[in-house]
Amino acid sequence: MSKMTKKTGLTAAATVTALSLALSACGGNDAKSDGASDKPVELIWYTIGTPQKDVDTVMAEVSKYTQEKINATIKMKMIDWGDYTQKMQVLVASGEPMDIMFTSAGGFDYVQNARKGAFLELDELLDKYGQGIKDTIDPGFLSGSKVDGHNYGIPANKELPQLEVWRFNQNLVDKYKLDTTAVRSLDSLEPLLKTIKAQDPSITPFAMDKNYVPYVPYDYLVTNMPMAVKLDGADLKVVDILETDEMKQALNTMHKYYQAGYVAPEAATTGSTQDLMTSGKWLLDRAQTQPLAETSWSASNGYPITSTPASDAVITNTSVQGSIMAISANSEHPEKAMEFLNLLNTDPVLRNMVDSGIEGTHYEKIDDKHMKNLDASQNYNMPSYSLGNNMLLYLNENDPDDKWEQFKKFNAEGKPSPILGFNFDSTKVSTEMTAIQNVKEQFWASLMTGTVDPATYLPKAIEQFKAAGLDKVIAEAQTQLDAWVAANKA
Amino acid sequence: MLNVMKRKRDFHQVSPAWNVVFNLIAGIFAILCVFPFLFVVIISFTEEKTLATDGYRIIPKAWSLEAYQYIFKTGDTLLRSYGVTILVTVVGTIVSLLLISLYAYAVSRRSFAYRRFFSLFAIFTMLFSGGMIPTYIVVTQLLGLKDSVWALILPLAVNAFYIMILRTFYITGIPDAIIESGKIDGAGEFRIFTTLVLPLSLPGLATIGLFSTLGYWNDWFNALLYIDDPNKVPLQSMLMQIESSMQFIQQNSANSSISLEILQNMPQDTARMAMVVLASLPIIFAYPIFQRYFVQGLTVGSVKE
Repeated sequence: MSKMTKKTGLTAAATVTALSLALSACGGNDAKSDGASDKPVELIWYTIGTPQKDVDTVMAEVSKYTQEKINATIKMKMIDWGDYTQKMQVLVASGEPMDIMFTSAGGFDYVQNARKGAFLELDELLDKYGQGIKDTIDPGFLSGSKVDGHNYGIPANKELPQLEVWRFNQNLVDKYKLDTTAVRSLDSLEPLLKTIKAQDPSITPFAMDKNYVPYVPYDYLVTNMPMAVKLDGADLKVVDILETDEMKQALNTMHKYYQAGYVAPEAATTGSTQDLMTSGKWLLDRAQTQPLAETSWSASNGYPITSTPASDAVITNTSVQGSIMAISANSEHPEKAMEFLNLLNTDPVLRNMVDSGIEGTHYEKIDDKHMKNLDASQNYNMPSYSLGNNMLLYLNENDPDDKWEQFKKFNAEGKPSPILGFNFDSTKVSTEMTAIQNVKEQFWASLMTGTVDPATYLPKAIEQFKAAGLDKVIAEAQTQLDAWVAANKA
Repeated sequence: MLNVMKRKRDFHQVSPAWNVVFNLIAGIFAILCVFPFLFVVIISFTEEKTLATDGYRIIPKAWSLEAYQYIFKTGDTLLRSYGVTILVTVVGTIVSLLLISLYAYAVSRRSFAYRRFFSLFAIFTMLFSGGMIPTYIVVTQLLGLKDSVWALILPLAVNAFYIMILRTFYITGIPDAIIESGKIDGAGEFRIFTTLVLPLSLPGLATIGLFSTLGYWNDWFNALLYIDDPNKVPLQSMLMQIESSMQFIQQNSANSSISLEILQNMPQDTARMAMVVLASLPIIFAYPIFQRYFVQGLTVGSVKE
């Protein structure tokens, strides 16, 4: 009896497996029945952002335009911010049909997925169909977003360098007549912090959350991991950031500030300074800027915010990889996808349609440069940064005429990091990377915010990082970096 | 007086002092459980500005209905999500009760030849699963359920663990004699199941029903995987999306172009709390309904052999 049931079980299981295999194979096949070149090609485009009601309506309009230009129609699928990375991983792994997808350093990691083979290598396609892109986009973007020597995506043309600034709550600066012109280094903040602490103890002088890291002139190989290379580019050596003099000094200053009460006691654990921003009970903090950022900061908080630079403008991998559009490795129409990306990055009509919707429905033109959102625009409110060349966009009502010129100037002032284009491949040392990550969780935030005394905790942290295998990781990174230098800079 | 006291204290009772202690412990525990939820309710009625200046308070300085007004003004998405969740929960609970009770009953009957195989078949899924990607491929490509509410219902419909619970319930709670009595009176298998077994196993069904109601109500992961259409996103998934999007923005706050653009479009603290309140209210009412059967369950099944 029991023998028989076992056999039946096996057969049943086998049948089910075979059946599902056969069926799924079918499913995979029937998409591939294209060939007639006259029929317009449908491009499936996955992008990030809260799904908007009018996406399909707008894309129907976009498709009319693109069909005329390049004989392709567009189907856009939006995935909400927080879901994007996870959902894209599943979609890509399961071979879901798609042609174009958004990727970046922060969401659905660009380098990692390029190495995994999720994206098509674009070198040839770019030469063949992407001439417009090459002419329009700042060349820093294309060279900086290479992974192992090849392009896997088209970065959006927007602000290129990263520039750290000190932001000031201008109301308080005016009220207490503070002088912000002399501010640049971390130490130069002290007189301001001291005054505000003495004058009004209810203010948090120096606002920060647990992700705060004092600025030091190094470029991190992996964001906020201790491996870094000095920006002056003299010797291209990978070092432990905690062992550098600059960081040691910064940590001492931070601890001094913390003890003086300039930093909120909960800084090392708090996830956001949004409450301080809303209530206006802060004097200064550090942020990354771009042209006209002061205007939008002030507008979103409802009181004036000003800023002065805290660093040089540096073009890093992270800044280059802030927004990239890649072509899927399983795309059925890579050439068409490339033609579309080329058009998107060069044609103002298409770019603005994708960004703001249909003219007359979602927005209207005021003059040839400026436009105004209409009420229906809340059904099509798209994040501009993820959708291609920003410099083609019409300006908002209040934007100055030279907005994009300011951006171009800003981009031109950026200096490339010495390791721009070098992407550390951590697969060989993944065990150590996990261990380092764990040590980091333990020490990082409390050290960086000045909560603990670096005199006792910094040596401990360095020792723990070493025990976790940081030296091995640094050695591996150095080998890769040397090879990269030999291949690219010689 | 003393005499009365003594008489009242019967053998089964603990001493008054201990009674107080136990009641206190139970009371404190109950407060600990209820308090977070009450706090959420309070925050949802707090004025947004005072939240930023004074932080969370049990008795806020200023009350406000703004959060709820905001939700109901912009709220057709919320209401639609409500609809999706309720539909999925009701249909899903019915479907899964039907499947699980039938499966468990068959497996519980000793006279069923393949009961061992089918028990193992169910238990096997508890130990091994296909993993996320293969499951995804089966649901979207083999079953073609992408963007369908069935993708929210079917993956949760049968649960091996519930089958085991209910099987044990049938075996221990429903004596073979009852089934035999049905046979003697000339009832077929279906008749026996529907008129004898099901009414006797109401407590068991109520337990499983409550479990799967909660499971469906709280499920967000299937929606994350299978649902792209914003009109078919259930409530919990919508809350989850808002939360994880906030987190994403905070993590990427370095990228100034992202944070500047979208932070304004995110619901404020109080509005999010109000959503939590609205999302939990209906499910709170599910408990009393099922509770009735639990209590009833104590009296059912007193069969003499």
